[in-house]
Amino acid sequence: MSFARGQIMRHVIVGTGIAGTLAAETIRKFDPKSPIIILGGEPFFPYCRPMISMLLEGSVAPEEMAIREKEDFLSRDIELLLGESVREVNVLERKLETERGKVIPFDRLLIATGADPVKIQVDGCDLANIFTMRHREDAERMLKALPEVRRVLIVGGGLVGLKAAHALLARGTKVAMVEKLAHPLPLVVDGKSGAAISQRLEEMGVMLKMGVTVASFAGNGFVKEASLDDGSRVRCDLVVVAVGSRPAVSFLGKSFIRVNQGILVDSFLETDAKDIYAAGDVAEATDVVLNRRKVNAVWPVAAEQGIVAGMNMAGKRVVYRGSMGRNVLRIGDLDVLTGGLVNPPPNEGYDVLEDENRRRKTYRKLVFKGDVLKGLVMLNQVEKGGTLLSIIQRQIPVSMEKERLLEPGFDFSQLLPR
Amino acid sequence: MKEVVIHPERCVGCMQCMVACATAHSKTKNLLTALVESPLPKPRIHVGVGLYREGFPNRCRHCDPAPCMMVCLPGAIYRDETWNTVLINTERCINCATCAMACPFGVIRYHEDSLGPPEKTIAVKCDNCVDRQSRGLVPACVEVCKCGALTFEEQSSSLKRKTDEMARRVSVGAEDRGVVESPGFDLLNALKKANVELSGREASL
Repeated sequence: MSFARGQIMRHVIVGTGIAGTLAAETIRKFDPKSPIIILGGEPFFPYCRPMISMLLEGSVAPEEMAIREKEDFLSRDIELLLGESVREVNVLERKLETERGKVIPFDRLLIATGADPVKIQVDGCDLANIFTMRHREDAERMLKALPEVRRVLIVGGGLVGLKAAHALLARGTKVAMVEKLAHPLPLVVDGKSGAAISQRLEEMGVMLKMGVTVASFAGNGFVKEASLDDGSRVRCDLVVVAVGSRPAVSFLGKSFIRVNQGILVDSFLETDAKDIYAAGDVAEATDVVLNRRKVNAVWPVAAEQGIVAGMNMAGKRVVYRGSMGRNVLRIGDLDVLTGGLVNPPPNEGYDVLEDENRRRKTYRKLVFKGDVLKGLVMLNQVEKGGTLLSIIQRQIPVSMEKERLLEPGFDFSQLLPR
Repeated sequence: MKEVVIHPERCVGCMQCMVACATAHSKTKNLLTALVESPLPKPRIHVGVGLYREGFPNRCRHCDPAPCMMVCLPGAIYRDETWNTVLINTERCINCATCAMACPFGVIRYHEDSLGPPEKTIAVKCDNCVDRQSRGLVPACVEVCKCGALTFEEQSSSLKRKTDEMARRVSVGAEDRGVVESPGFDLLNALKKANVELSGREASL
């Protein structure tokens, strides 16, 4: 770290998501003077991305999705350039160029561009009314199409797919969902919870097809039908493609910033290029549970990385402990909370503890390696999930009887030394 | 600034703090009438059971920085600087439970609240009784605690008391004098522990 306290640094942040926003505010907290500029590709003030399904559902208005108001930036003297996507980063000359041709020099840069939704490349995928759901404008376009829509097909049973299903059911359309793997949320829950989620979705009226995916779409201009790879057909006049997202790194090109799945960062969230940092869905930091690099594209990780990157950029050297995948969602009256490694590979020394209580309608699964908690799935009564997740995140050996962590009466106090 | 301090070694698990808390956060603020309110008022302090069946009053720590506040999707959780208290904006809360993943103490609950918007499930947690405090009252859980497990004081004075306690325990001749700060509680907790250990865990549950 080679700069004197109080030295003016030009901080540029690319991305108006939670990572970029919190990074800017954190820099300002530690550095009252340096200029801070945030570039946002979308024309909106920072908004809460996970809430776009609520916009689609109609339970929030666009202005209720704002995570910050104009005054929040004005009062902190943070400059916001909206509608400016980055075309190129010039690492050697310390400047970047936007799509509109604006050249912006920087001393410290944070890349927090998030992720792009994955598109499916099949026949007919460019028909109208086939959407991905990542940006506010996606939800707005779907809303525009909705009056003509009676049947919806959702491709992919991940979080985005489930949220889209929930929203579109509320809008009164018929909803079908296909998922390539054996159960919904295949990457974050185990088979048992997956079955419970499937059951709940079917009770809500979703027509589920597992183990299949779309082979092609057909229609005349607008999508009317999807052919699945098991030979069956599904009628639909709107399709939501929710097959995952990939870190938005296309603009990096040959910029010397090393990219694997996401932008590789060290324990200070700094990339290979000095003074250039990355945080959020675009960054590939170390996963504390797996002890290897992984993109954990979830909101809490983006928030903590934004803060840590901001501190480091402001000259407060802080080590990032590492990320951990975690999710919580409510499907009807079923609450699901998961974190860490939930489907451990066999024969690698993992122990699994489970407890199912049909009367309470609860299920808990803990994955241990030796005395260290590695993963967690909870169905219902998820209020104390945070205690277990923080045990996972710290990777501290559990000294008490492990079965006690499964009990409904498990309480924070049991972890205290007496 | 005075704050609620928890002394877990003195908790007997009577749960009166829970009743007082629910009443203080009811519409009518009276136990008898609170019982017939709809929704039924719920406590924001939760007495948990320790490994030896001791009580533990678990309550929001109003952390700074607060992990729940950091992850709140709609930005509904905020810090009230006047009362040094982490509060939830009930209108903004979307009941997404992201704060349940963040709170290491597990003190946030989700239900319709007497003081929140009607028929809306929201995140509910301790608000340090800012309403009572602004009227010159101490938080309801402290007021009702009979055992001194919950006190309302300056953190510095609480720390000083604990330091003095520790100093007396290790000072020369302390063993002869048999200095015990809260003999009744020590005995009770020792008995609970012995009971659990003698009877085996299965029988005790």
